[in-house]
Amino acid sequence: MVNRSEIIIEAKDLAYQYTGEEEASSPALSGVNISVHRGEYIALIGPNGSGKTTLLKLFNALLVPTNGEVRVEGISTFDEENILSIRRHCGMIFQNPDNQLVATTVEEDIAFGLENLTLPSAEIQKRVGQVSSVLGLQDLLQQAPHMLSGGEKQRVAIAGVLAMQPGCILMDEPTAMLDPAGRNDVLQTVQHLNSEQGLAVVHVTHFPEEAVMADRVVVLEDGRLVAQGSPKEILGNTSLLHGLGLQSTAAVELASLLRQDGFDLPEGIITNRELVNSICSLEQTD
Amino acid sequence: MFIGTDRLTHTYMPGTPYAKKALDNVSFEIKQGGFALVIGRSGSGKSTLIQHLNGLLKPTSGRVFFDGHDLGQKGSELLKIRRKIGLVFQMPEELFFSETIFDEIAFAPRNLGLEETEVQTRVIEALEEVGMEAEQFIDRHPFQLSAGQKRMVALAAVLSLRPEVLILDEPTAGLDHSGQKILFKLLASLNKKKNMTFIICTHHLDQVAALADQVLVLQEGRLVMDGFPQKIFGRRSQLIEMGLSPPVTAEIMADLAERGLDVRSDIFNLEDARAEINRLRRHRVK
Repeated sequence: MVNRSEIIIEAKDLAYQYTGEEEASSPALSGVNISVHRGEYIALIGPNGSGKTTLLKLFNALLVPTNGEVRVEGISTFDEENILSIRRHCGMIFQNPDNQLVATTVEEDIAFGLENLTLPSAEIQKRVGQVSSVLGLQDLLQQAPHMLSGGEKQRVAIAGVLAMQPGCILMDEPTAMLDPAGRNDVLQTVQHLNSEQGLAVVHVTHFPEEAVMADRVVVLEDGRLVAQGSPKEILGNTSLLHGLGLQSTAAVELASLLRQDGFDLPEGIITNRELVNSICSLEQTD
Repeated sequence: MFIGTDRLTHTYMPGTPYAKKALDNVSFEIKQGGFALVIGRSGSGKSTLIQHLNGLLKPTSGRVFFDGHDLGQKGSELLKIRRKIGLVFQMPEELFFSETIFDEIAFAPRNLGLEETEVQTRVIEALEEVGMEAEQFIDRHPFQLSAGQKRMVALAAVLSLRPEVLILDEPTAGLDHSGQKILFKLLASLNKKKNMTFIICTHHLDQVAALADQVLVLQEGRLVMDGFPQKIFGRRSQLIEMGLSPPVTAEIMADLAERGLDVRSDIFNLEDARAEINRLRRHRVK
């Protein structure tokens, strides 16, 4: 069983300043404290330029902090000798899967990271077999990655990360380039890995509908962590989101308009189903 | 006929084992000042189609027409016509290559062989059109801009050619909610005030659906629907079957209708949904 009280990633008083800017610009991140627990699903939201991608890169040791510290499974990202181990514990999925598929077949692509670990070939085959069955890629193993659909490519990218047996995956707008079916495909896969295998997820998204499935929603603005809470707490708080130039789910937005018109809708509506149920029960009781 | 195709077919790598029919007998017309959405799954032929509309690809058979010209025909006319049809690719700012915003936007007008004073006029005009004060921005490096501003500069770079038609592929990918709102407001105003014609390929219909007056649906290279948004988005189950997502407000209204409430489901923005649910209540009180 996954021990949800265990911490996988811990960031303390984190700050990061990009260098090379002519003028003294404000830091990309400052004073951020956050822990990711084992098996936890975190949605990371915020306006463009609020520091979401920078935070993911700090978690993955692609960047090291200007101030403060990040520890992944207890290892500091300053510890250069253990950087590969950090990336194994904590894999990254980028917006565009074309940027992270490297091999000529799906099978080789999934095995790429494992080969770099110089694992015995029997072990590599075993792991490729396992992850491809979890992700439903068994029939695509001999295909060329560039011939796949966007959703399939993103699943191959996830498989390559998953084969490293990480405790956590970091995803930077993983569905931005995908069509609706591809998007559902990836979201369901990630949800399954999170709930069935206890994989922790940090998911950066501009789609409020995608934040609904998280255990915790974390909000960044101008490099600072300005709010966090359950999806109901954060997505239900339209004044917070609108103040940041963000929008909540259509269900939250519509519910809030209808409340202004005098509809007596309960608080805590964030999904379509909740909104539809509430409107129908009003219609029946009136 | 303003812009459109007549029995357009395109086959990639014809006569080889890899031959693939990307467009199959596609005919449609978009009138001047129209605002059309092209939707369909990844691989349905959207990109192939828009590349024909500004002459980047030639038909295998059939015709592409614009303002009385046949774009498939050889001759010097094509370059002149192509200037009138601007194409903005997905994530266009990834193609930035200049040191200053001025040079970035000036690239196309300079290629037209215009006098430098005219180039300057065009750059300033284009920047102001996208709501950016020229004086403040022309000397800055494009990478110093926010994501939303970069997208606007990419748009200005195309507007500097003073196109009559603007084709955009997934124009809001990677933008936050306020960036999306600003972009669509700009497109709507160019459409209304300058009678500019728009053709937009997108998977994300929630914000743009209300601006459109025509929706084209592609499936495996064939044009399977063409009509008013109300008509197309009203065919919800067919769209879902094709792996597409109708606007989320249409989903909510359809769910309400399914639960026996007497509401229209061909609704795709929050304000119309609000009005329709209010109408229901007023109706009942009477």
